Amino acid sequence: MDHRPQNWGRPRDDVYGAYDGSYLQSSGPKQATQSPIVTGTSVIALKFKDGVVMAADNLASYGSLARFTDVPRLRSFAETSVIGFGGDVSDMQYLNRHLTDLSIDEAYAAPSSTDTTTSPGAGTLNAANLHKYLQKLLYSRRNNFDPLWNQILVAGLDSSEAPFLASVDMRGTAFTSPSLATGFGAALAQPIMRRYAETDEQAAQLSREEAVKIIKECMKVLYYRDARSLDKYSLAVVTKAGVEISEDEQLEQQSWAFAERIKGYGTQTV
Amino acid sequence: MTSIGTGYDLANSIFSPDGRNFQVEYAVKAVENGGTSIGIRCKDGVVLAVEKVITSKLLKPGANKRIATIDRHLGVVYSGMVPDGRHFVDRARDEARGWRETFKTPIGTADLASRMGGYLQAHTLYQYVRPFGVTAIIAGYDSELETPVEGEVGKGPSVGAGGKVAGKKHGGPFLYMIEPSGLYWGYYGAATGKGRQSAKAELEKLDLAGGELSLEQAVKEAARIIYVAHDDNKDKEFELEMSWISGADGPTKGRHEEVPKAIREEAERLAKKALEGDDEEEEKKDDEKMEE
Amino acid sequence: MAMFSQNPLMNGPNYSFNEAPRVNAPEGARQHRFDPYTDNGGSTLAIAGADFAIMAGDTRLTSGYSINSRYHPKVFKIGGTTADQKDATLVLSVVGFMADGEALKEKLDSICKMYRYRHGKAMSVEACARRLSIILYQKRFFPYYAYAILGGLDEQGKGAVYSYDPVGSYEREQCRAGGAAASLIMPFLDNQVNFKNQYEPGSGEGHALQERERRPLTRAEVEILVKDAFDGAVERHIEVGDGLQMMVVTATGIEEIYLPLKKD
Repeated sequence: MDHRPQNWGRPRDDVYGAYDGSYLQSSGPKQATQSPIVTGTSVIALKFKDGVVMAADNLASYGSLARFTDVPRLRSFAETSVIGFGGDVSDMQYLNRHLTDLSIDEAYAAPSSTDTTTSPGAGTLNAANLHKYLQKLLYSRRNNFDPLWNQILVAGLDSSEAPFLASVDMRGTAFTSPSLATGFGAALAQPIMRRYAETDEQAAQLSREEAVKIIKECMKVLYYRDARSLDKYSLAVVTKAGVEISEDEQLEQQSWAFAERIKGYGTQTV
Repeated sequence: MTSIGTGYDLANSIFSPDGRNFQVEYAVKAVENGGTSIGIRCKDGVVLAVEKVITSKLLKPGANKRIATIDRHLGVVYSGMVPDGRHFVDRARDEARGWRETFKTPIGTADLASRMGGYLQAHTLYQYVRPFGVTAIIAGYDSELETPVEGEVGKGPSVGAGGKVAGKKHGGPFLYMIEPSGLYWGYYGAATGKGRQSAKAELEKLDLAGGELSLEQAVKEAARIIYVAHDDNKDKEFELEMSWISGADGPTKGRHEEVPKAIREEAERLAKKALEGDDEEEEKKDDEKMEE
Repeated sequence: MAMFSQNPLMNGPNYSFNEAPRVNAPEGARQHRFDPYTDNGGSTLAIAGADFAIMAGDTRLTSGYSINSRYHPKVFKIGGTTADQKDATLVLSVVGFMADGEALKEKLDSICKMYRYRHGKAMSVEACARRLSIILYQKRFFPYYAYAILGGLDEQGKGAVYSYDPVGSYEREQCRAGGAAASLIMPFLDNQVNFKNQYEPGSGEGHALQERERRPLTRAEVEILVKDAFDGAVERHIEVGDGLQMMVVTATGIEEIYLPLKKD
């Protein structure tokens, strides 16, 4: 028995071996996030005539474990924009809190949303402003080697009230396109969406119903082929009238008949 | 003002022999000269209104707001020294933000009143500060809904007990008034500033404790009361500024917002009409007396 | 001390957490390290003429085999006094890691604007070129991963093109290609702009061969040359395509031209 007070309550080294404190990382340079832990998969979005549709499933994975099955990954901002998060869920929650604080600060001076003479969110940040803000935030975090491990889609309207859709990733790379998808969606959903809206002009021909239908079809394809996905998802539509988010959508009319024909990676025939 | 020249009024943190803090009492004097502010707590929301005295024709009408938003569901109006009020608002916003940071949920109206009461009280204790020259009215609507804890993972169990008490009512409209001493109480109707006496008299007629007055009616009453209270200060022009907070199913969806222009103008029209009516009645009475 | 040492393992000094043995040092196979850079593909090209300069770039933005965007400009007007840059006199193109490229563009743009507000005139291309080199060099230990080309008219009114490496080394050139397809385009420019490996027909053999005399190209010739260069690059490089953006700097202003490229 070791009676020295500094060792009270500690596991005995002769029984358990010396304590491995290496994970504490108290020497050497500070280490920020080196990899995502709990993650969300694809976010997809498509512009249409009067706005943008966005969707993401409600799953937060812990590696290959489907850990949390009711985590909505779309949020609205100031009733004018929708933000969709792929990647690390804890960083998403940090950004969510940060954006909530930002929207409260912005609302200090904003006019009444119940005033019908002004459009909702007038005088506050629009989607284009918000996207630029997030780009600067993520880029500065990358510069400090403390990245926010997310790929983010921002949808809404720009200053001329035209549909706006843009992406920003953990390195601060930002871009815009008539349709956008993160993660697996870039490979699986983007080709489907581009079939309908290769250009802004084509996207401007789409009705809201058509856009929602295309997005739902893409979510189905993603569920068939992305192993880290879920059939419960969130769907958001943003237009001049505001933001509508439904967080309990269910994939319908699935057909797994194709699955039994798949061998190997799917290209094998015998 | 028998205290003047005794020296007990020169600093905070020194009581006079009869147990008074004169600095606080002088601060109350500053409030009594400010434009009238009122708050009405009704059954489905809270209304704030202020008589904004126009100090110069060069000021832009409708600009320079006097009612401030603290958090989404909280608003503040004050009478007295405007810069002190502005600092009060800054501090309240910091408190609301800090509360969100530590508890991941919006601050309750009562909690904000408590924090700000403590802050004002602290300004009556020390030699190197002076008390706030404002009396502030805090209005809030604490959400009656299940408020999501910010950053929580998932929505929790969809069935079964989640630690909730069945039948217990949560949230609702709240109204607090904080004085320069740090004293605060919860009110059904609150008034401060120059016209507070007549405003209080009008508020008492409304039977606010009965819980019958609706938010829409309260907006009209608030406008009328500011017009009545202004009667004492008739030589100066003023602007009426009003804000309101309803529950999640009401017009502002639980947020503190300025009353829309159309509704405010209608309330002002009715207020002016009510005032003229009173004047006519008085004139009539005078005429009757003359005839006698 | 020895009276307490009933535990033989405790005879050595007791370690603090700072001195803890690194048994499972984090060198595991699944270790994921953050790489602050990516390559977003694309190509740029600049050619200086006698009284103009043309800056061009494709508009594709890629990451790996994915096309992120089919319209993402790489060529920017710099130092105008308004948001739409209509009174700008300089053009910057960036290619490589676009987040760095755009940060660089915004930094140079704000410096040029400040210069203009302070001095009441636009920055000369020579001064701006030097300033850009300094910006890049100041961040040499964490560089902007971008290949920049600056174009404008010099103080004699001649077309000027300055090209840079990511840490600020720069030189004035007649023409320069940058980015993914630089190695495809540059030899083509050597031949077509500087007439490298072109000789006067029938001038002899071996050392007697006479080089074709260099002459300044006209604007129309250069525009065709740029389009041809990009058509070639699109054919042979997967990261180049979708659209071609050209900025033509002349004494009367900057003209912007957009031409479609193959989207495959």
